[in-house]
Amino acid sequence: MAALGDGDFAALQILLKAPSKDAVRQLCQECFSSPPAALGPLAQRACPGLAVSAQEAEQLVSALHNLTRHVVYRGFTRAEDILCLFPENFHQNLKNLLTKIILENTSSWRNEAQASQISLPRLVDMDWRVDIKTSSDSIARMAVPTCLLQLKIQEDAALCGNNPVVSALTVELSKETLDTMLEGLGRIRDQLSAVANK
Amino acid sequence: AADKIRLIPQDFFAELCEQIIQHLNHKIPGVNTAELCQRIQTSGVDINIGDLAKIANTLSFLFSTAARNNLSTEELITTLGSGVSTLPKHAVQVIRHVWNEQGKAIALSEDAGNMATVGQFVDMKWKLGVAMSSDTCRSLKYPYVTVTLTVADPSGQITDKSFEMTIPQFKNFFRQFKEMASVLETV
Repeated sequence: MAALGDGDFAALQILLKAPSKDAVRQLCQECFSSPPAALGPLAQRACPGLAVSAQEAEQLVSALHNLTRHVVYRGFTRAEDILCLFPENFHQNLKNLLTKIILENTSSWRNEAQASQISLPRLVDMDWRVDIKTSSDSIARMAVPTCLLQLKIQEDAALCGNNPVVSALTVELSKETLDTMLEGLGRIRDQLSAVANK
Repeated sequence: AADKIRLIPQDFFAELCEQIIQHLNHKIPGVNTAELCQRIQTSGVDINIGDLAKIANTLSFLFSTAARNNLSTEELITTLGSGVSTLPKHAVQVIRHVWNEQGKAIALSEDAGNMATVGQFVDMKWKLGVAMSSDTCRSLKYPYVTVTLTVADPSGQITDKSFEMTIPQFKNFFRQFKEMASVLETV
């Protein structure tokens, strides 16, 4: 995650033409959330509101994206750390505004970054049901409790872009297999407590 | 499928038939097609898992139908019918041998676990990890749980499904399972 160059800070001053502080706030959020590939279209949308050329809009959007992502990457939580990034001659009020906006958003942006980082497929939902099997073509009468579990698993968000693929895994568990599962889960819980206490 | 069977070396084919019979006998939860396919491929045979799965399904159907109808070895070979001439000789030999040894002993039905309409849970493996850093956050320290569920699908093929959970998700997951267990106790 490279730090910003002079060109970036020059481009940021275009924000002085923004119609309102909320417009700046909105643009900051959009620039952070946008993946690099979508910055072009974002710049086109921002153009009219800022009354700048297409090229200037692109430079601005790119600079804002880099600034916000850099702050999240470094994990800055204090105003001083963010203020330090700006060059000496940068417009004071704009610098303060940007720092304020970034501080407001930094924690939710961090969560957003964590949610979209590479990972194995994630569990998104889980439903279950307990049934009793009372009879079948081979056994006239029985009372066998059984558990049906459906897990909804979402494939890696980074690979799927805006159309995440969710697959459903339906599994049947008997009392024995459920106990095996519980034992395994209990051990994870114990490990978690052990790690938390370190 | 017959021409693909031709590709499988005799000892692997015998192992496949063995696993199928053991599955039908409820001695093992399912046939580990993925693992067997990998070993066959490593030995230099070009077969994909889809083809192996089809062959396993066909054999499973053959054996279970034969068991249900109490077929003798000769009757089974006859049933293979026109297929026998296109099946490689070593495959027919294996089928004959396996059926002779274990075919009569297949105990079908009389078991509640036989009605597999959904996947059957076989095993769970887990890992507790902490993501230290990523391209988006230099200092993450993000704990997560990775779980791999081994499931035997209705046809008896064993597959693995892996996924990640955050810690709050895991705690909910655990809580739900305790709920399920307590409901199972009381019904």
